[in-house]
Amino acid sequence: MITAGVDVGAKYAKIVLLEDAKNILANAKGIVGFDILKSATEVFQKALDNTSLKRDQIVHVVATGMGRKAIHMKPPINAGEIVPEVIADAKGAYHLIPTVKTVIDVGAEEGRGVKVGENGKVRDFVINERCAAGAGTFMETMARALEVGVEEMGPLALKSTKAIPMNAQCCVFAESEVVTLIHSKTSKEDISKAIHDAMAGRIASMVLRVGVEKDVALIGGVAQNPGFLPPLEKELNTEILVPEHPQYVGALGAALLALEMEAK
Amino acid sequence: MVETIKKFPTEQLKCWNEAKNLRKSYYENYLNAHEKGGVRWAGGAWSFSSIPAGLGEDVYSLTGEPYGATIAFFKDFTAKCHEATEAAGFPRTLCAYMRNYWGSILLDKYILADGKVIDEHPAPDFIWQDHICCSHGKWYQVARWLEEKKGKKVPMYCVDVSVGYPMDKPLEEYKINYIFQQLNDGVEWLEKVTGREYDDKLLCEAVWNEINATRLWADICTLNQAVPAPLDEKSMYSLYVMGTIMKHRPECVAFYEKLKAEVEDRVRRGIAAVANERFRVITDTQPPWGFLRIFREMEKYGVVSLGSLYTYGLIGMWKYRPDGTWATKDLPPRKPQTREEALRMIVEWTVDRPEWAHFYLPEAKTKMMLSIVKQWKVDAVLLHYNRGCEGLSVHIAENRHGLVEAGVPVFPFEGNMGDEREFDLLGTLARLTTFFESMGLKKLRE
Amino acid sequence: MICLRIELRLFVGSEKYKCGDFIFFSSNLYNVLGSAYLVEEIFQKFKDWIDNRHEYAKEWKERTNRKIIGYFCTYVPEEILYAADILHVRILGSHEPPTVTEPYIFAMFCHLCRDCLAQGLKGKFDYLDGIVEGQACLHLRQAFNAWRLHIPVDYAYYIYVPHSVQNPHATPYLAQELAKFKHSLEEWIGRKVTDSDLDRGIRTMNRNRELMRKIYEYRKLDNPKITGLEAMEMVLSSQMVDKEEHSKLVEQLLRELPNRKLNRNPGARLMIIGSEDDDRIFMQNVENLGATFVIDEHCTGSRYLWNNVSPSEDRLGAIAERYIERVPCPSKDWPEFTRVKHVVNLAQEFKAQGALVIQNKFCDPHGIEIPPLKEALKSIGVPIYPLEFDVTVPWGQFRTRVEAFLETLTGLEDLF
Repeated sequence: MITAGVDVGAKYAKIVLLEDAKNILANAKGIVGFDILKSATEVFQKALDNTSLKRDQIVHVVATGMGRKAIHMKPPINAGEIVPEVIADAKGAYHLIPTVKTVIDVGAEEGRGVKVGENGKVRDFVINERCAAGAGTFMETMARALEVGVEEMGPLALKSTKAIPMNAQCCVFAESEVVTLIHSKTSKEDISKAIHDAMAGRIASMVLRVGVEKDVALIGGVAQNPGFLPPLEKELNTEILVPEHPQYVGALGAALLALEMEAK
Repeated sequence: MVETIKKFPTEQLKCWNEAKNLRKSYYENYLNAHEKGGVRWAGGAWSFSSIPAGLGEDVYSLTGEPYGATIAFFKDFTAKCHEATEAAGFPRTLCAYMRNYWGSILLDKYILADGKVIDEHPAPDFIWQDHICCSHGKWYQVARWLEEKKGKKVPMYCVDVSVGYPMDKPLEEYKINYIFQQLNDGVEWLEKVTGREYDDKLLCEAVWNEINATRLWADICTLNQAVPAPLDEKSMYSLYVMGTIMKHRPECVAFYEKLKAEVEDRVRRGIAAVANERFRVITDTQPPWGFLRIFREMEKYGVVSLGSLYTYGLIGMWKYRPDGTWATKDLPPRKPQTREEALRMIVEWTVDRPEWAHFYLPEAKTKMMLSIVKQWKVDAVLLHYNRGCEGLSVHIAENRHGLVEAGVPVFPFEGNMGDEREFDLLGTLARLTTFFESMGLKKLRE
Repeated sequence: MICLRIELRLFVGSEKYKCGDFIFFSSNLYNVLGSAYLVEEIFQKFKDWIDNRHEYAKEWKERTNRKIIGYFCTYVPEEILYAADILHVRILGSHEPPTVTEPYIFAMFCHLCRDCLAQGLKGKFDYLDGIVEGQACLHLRQAFNAWRLHIPVDYAYYIYVPHSVQNPHATPYLAQELAKFKHSLEEWIGRKVTDSDLDRGIRTMNRNRELMRKIYEYRKLDNPKITGLEAMEMVLSSQMVDKEEHSKLVEQLLRELPNRKLNRNPGARLMIIGSEDDDRIFMQNVENLGATFVIDEHCTGSRYLWNNVSPSEDRLGAIAERYIERVPCPSKDWPEFTRVKHVVNLAQEFKAQGALVIQNKFCDPHGIEIPPLKEALKSIGVPIYPLEFDVTVPWGQFRTRVEAFLETLTGLEDLF
């Protein structure tokens, strides 16, 4: 049985095509534009093309992510069910790491902490409130301020050995502190590290609300940033596992849920 | 979670209009107080309002928090109040009720219960306040300062009640005495500033009314232990408010007696507040007043909010029974006969106020919330991390901690009771519905 | 002894010397130079005490084998703790984002209370035997309660210091609260705290405050003998070490200070007004722009030391009276604005030209007073500039504002 999970995030749409809860046949990713349905459809088609499958061979589609309503019961994707991100995250992470108890998902706009129970069910969760500099877009803004590509931020941070405390309660305040550091001729490496530390602090703070229990997994787009993991592990004082393709875990969870629902 | 979707019968509350009218006339009476030679005062909802009642039958009040909440209902006016307050140099992180109230003075406007805004903010003849949170006394200190700029000198008296909470044992005599002495001095002060002779009989009446009104409200809240719940929290706000504006008045007692009888009848006949009640929650701290539709959104999931320690214990008086049940506080043995008896009685009555416990002991509030969870058969707790009120949000993280340790599902959400800019309705609804879904509840209807 | 019959008029320190005083001149020159060296040493000692506060406390504990209590707010009656031979240290933050406090204190409460708790959670104050809080603001009491509930301490006590300090019943009430507190301490330490102990506690605290107040006098001069940063470090260190040790040093400072000549242009005379302020880097940065903080009004400054206990037979009553009648925290200052009046007096006494108001983000009591403060200071010709502080300070942004503010202060002189 082939199911699909579609995670329509704030910035990217991610698709996972799954066979019998075992084989990931394809995954695909693409930017979400103004027309969410159109963007998601394009990415969905990309996934299908990678496997030469047709839409009617996909038995069930479940959508998650900020833009999930846009593809709920809307052709051609026709997602039959929509689930909140935390549910999909828990399911996906549990499938990849059966010992996982805490999942941290940091995407473009949102950070989430999820406590996972039996069978990948959600026990408790926390999502960042409005005032938070703990998401991918923050990193992009900071990269612009430093005039580097966002993919360079992590490697830069890893080169630094200096810790500069920075307030990350609010994105705007953080940016003004970065400007101050730039003007005081602090190196890009040290500034990048400060930004990563501040962001990790923000996320850690949020996760501490629900508590940290091992095993801890980090997923979402920001998990791909090598500079983010070390300060996060330090703040939470625990080892954190990053599964392969962390950005697709939500979509995987949705695909697994599609299978469960179809089985019922 | 077993998904049996029952459908309970529902009915509008019969005394709903009376509640509306009582509140409407309250704001009008304050405005028109001088027309018939009456006296009007301003102060907090927790001010010992039974004391100024001794000045006569024509004494009217404007309590600050309910007025601040009224302003918050009407977002256009709220925005103007905020603008005015911020332009005057006050930080926007201050208590939201207080900023709304000052805004009203700065704009020189007065808003009525139905949202009608009239010119000229009616200055009080005196301020009678109590102080427990950092802002209480200062709120009216600034209000007085603002009135002075408009040429009006308003005398102010503020009673300090920060003596602690009788959690496991009664408060020491010297603490009761401390508050009693301030009230006693206060009576003399009232005579001085109004030039009126104080009537101890009126005081005794007012104190006895307050004790009865607060007991009746607790009784009414207790009825919500029934399944299905006869009342939902959103409706309760329009009913408990009477206790915040006139708990010492005979009309309040009469209204609560009527309401109690009606709710008892609803319980007998199994009338529900929410037709498809299948998940019971309580909330905490004031709600985001400008966005009460979140309660209606909850109902689409079959979720009913039964109330909160805030709705029950802000006005209602409760005490732990020897068997560990949390119940209506017992009536004192008899009505007070003298000034001293009345003052002492109202102090001893008031220090048990449940909503005063957490100012000192977070564990006391957690205990009471857990009692509500148990006795009212509550499935989850929604905590409003209220940026607009540090007084009621103090120690809220500890309460969350305590509830989670006890195995109660908790959903915290940030917001502001009185500043609409700080409440993200869509974001909160998205998170709230995620919470319900994680509890296994799917939406029942649009 | 060589006597040079040359008329030399030398001005050293505040004294004029003639040639006949050559020997005295040379020995005084030595004194002056020695003085200067000593003064710098003393200020360095204050800095060391602050920077190594935990090491100091641990060493003190080992040396004396006595108990240490941490307190949060200056309404804690240190006289009584001193009388019980307990070292009392003020718990303060580290100016790093307090991530670990999220489960215990809602982030909308001020950074100070969260930063204080974070230090406790991180084990920085492991050596404390107990914590005490004197009831004041809502924010700090959360730090106290969270500490009490989650960090192991032998002793935790909350003194219900009344808020209504302007009412006559507050002092006798507090005296009874203090009696209760004293009794609780006695049970903990296993001995009675006698009247003579209390006298000693009062004497020691009074002396320390008095000495520091005398140092403050030197800030009134046209060319102040100490900078605002130095004054802050003097007061801040007093909250972290044994008072007798601190007093000895301040006494020495008092002797040497008259000879000191600060090699700097005082620039604009500023007042700093706030709640709890210990941002030394900020103080230094502002003073480096061409200004001197000649006076402060906050609780790691003058508010801490301004009032003494008037000794009396009723020791607890006398202590209570001091804490009720002292310069109040705004959370206790109502219905009259007595603190605002006090700020105006200070500004006049110390001839401040302008005031920076440090508003700790989310602090209600202090935030409320900004407009009345502004109005009151404006009426005596002292403009204010409010700056919102959080756990870290964006100096880049603040610098522009402070520079502009300083220009408005000194610029006017140039115009007229």
